[in-house]
Amino acid sequence: MGSFIDVKNISKTFKVNKRAAGVSGMIANLVAPEYEKRQAVKDISFHIERGEMVGFIGPNGAGKSTTIKMLSGILYPDKGDIKVNGYIPYKQRKEYVGSIGVVFGQKSQLQWDLPVIDSFELLKAIYRVPEDRYRKNLERFTDMLDMGSFLNQPVRQLSLGQRMRADIVAALLHSPEIVFFDEPTIGVDVVGKESIRDFIRELNEKDRVTMIFTTHDMQDIEKTCKRLIIIDDGTKVYDGSLLGIREKYGTTRQLDVEFSSRCEIKSIEKVEIRELDHSDGRKKRFVFENKEVQINELMNHLLTNYDVRDINISEPEIEGIIRKIYNGEAS
Amino acid sequence: MKSDTLHVMAVYTKTIMKAWFQYRTDALLSSLTVFFREATGIIVIYFTLLKFGNLGGWNIYELLFLFSLLFLTYGIMIIFFTGLRDFGKTVRNGGFDRFILRPRGLLFQVIFTNADWFAAVGHGGLGVALFIITAGEVGIEWNLRNIVYCIFTVIGGVLIQGAIFLLLAALNIYLFETNSLKELFYWNMRKFAGYPISIFHKVIQICMIYVVPFAFVNYFPAQYLLRKPDMAQYPAVYMYITPIIGITLYMLAYGFWKYSLRFYKSSGN
Repeated sequence: MGSFIDVKNISKTFKVNKRAAGVSGMIANLVAPEYEKRQAVKDISFHIERGEMVGFIGPNGAGKSTTIKMLSGILYPDKGDIKVNGYIPYKQRKEYVGSIGVVFGQKSQLQWDLPVIDSFELLKAIYRVPEDRYRKNLERFTDMLDMGSFLNQPVRQLSLGQRMRADIVAALLHSPEIVFFDEPTIGVDVVGKESIRDFIRELNEKDRVTMIFTTHDMQDIEKTCKRLIIIDDGTKVYDGSLLGIREKYGTTRQLDVEFSSRCEIKSIEKVEIRELDHSDGRKKRFVFENKEVQINELMNHLLTNYDVRDINISEPEIEGIIRKIYNGEAS
Repeated sequence: MKSDTLHVMAVYTKTIMKAWFQYRTDALLSSLTVFFREATGIIVIYFTLLKFGNLGGWNIYELLFLFSLLFLTYGIMIIFFTGLRDFGKTVRNGGFDRFILRPRGLLFQVIFTNADWFAAVGHGGLGVALFIITAGEVGIEWNLRNIVYCIFTVIGGVLIQGAIFLLLAALNIYLFETNSLKELFYWNMRKFAGYPISIFHKVIQICMIYVVPFAFVNYFPAQYLLRKPDMAQYPAVYMYITPIIGITLYMLAYGFWKYSLRFYKSSGN
């Protein structure tokens, strides 16, 4: 205990109405509804220190959003304890939520028909932001995110990227100490994503704002977070640095070799040999485990026995590793 | 009440007004639409009743006076309780999650982000007009006692209907959508409430008094002012307790709402 964010053994189960198809199913459901219990979060614990930036990833339905919703006080955990900045989110709601900001990438909190600035003014009143601080924050954020041109445009006329930037500023006007981002770059183009990431990173570095992130875009994580928590099927499967995940799971290496002429390779122990497409048998891929095969020995073996024109070693993509973790292949 | 609550209420209202006036014509039309829609209903009733002459001993203006109380209270209620009426939608589209994330009372936010001033103007305007006209026709004397009585009774009537909406909104937390319940318990009962309950079967009377107590919104208050003979079959005290019933029901509904929030399940992504 004693961390800035303390999450201890939280679980959350939802009752899902099981409904048979068709009219008869509808009637049956009305008369005797059947419920199925679905455990969205199973016994998750972690600690986060002030000023950290942590990425939450996991496949759809893994329990990320449920976890974020419990952390931000929207949902009660069935079991376990959450303490953030000294508050119990779901019990001390009004005191707590004034110190956090939440961005839901899929749900805007802006007034659809009104200019962006009107939503900001409303939030200023709701959060009791003093005039001078409001001015300062507004000026700084709109400048950083280059929003001056559309501050007076109705939200419905904004592009998705503009709207997302406006939503991020909306969540930050009251200078929260913790910000939760739930898929903040969803549907935004490459340039827009980059500007959002830069902004988030700067806010974390300069203002020491603690940030928790969920995303499906690994680039978001690679470019912003040092720490990663992977959730799958309601449980925490990884908690550590981005580098660590490569060391722990990314042990597969591959060697792409181009030979000067078509050749047959005799099998090598513990190395899988694959033919690469469109190469007339000249290009081959050697896949092996880092621990089991010495890479220099393999290269030596190939260079001495065959006529090699080009060699290319590659580490696995982080995305590939994570896909493997989701599929339960990594161990 | 925190010192800046009024300020936030004002900013909310300003924001709603601004949004409405983005579509100026539509805003105006929606008030007019509500006005004419409800007025049409009244005109139909007027001509139907003209044929009968009277109903259970009530003449046409007495009946319309009864009706006007229903309108008046609904018109006032809808300013504050549109958010509760549409609460199912707010839950489903995740709007309620957002309310939880803001440092203000939840019911306060539900009410003031949705206050429907324009429908209220249409509805309330008709209610006031009808009330004044019919009160004149039935010869109500506007002495201090009657004025005070009317003010408290209207507040009570607003709270009774508000309590029903609040109760149904709280049920939304368990059921996600309660429109059909609202149809059954509110709108259907309200249709009966347009007439003196004494003309109905005993079962309906019991429903109107003890289950969904619309009788206290307009029938018993109208009886206080009109003293029709059919009041004899009910306890005379019923004419005086509308405010008490309103406050009690509202408190109960509010308690249930508070209790239900614990079970709120969010709507998913």
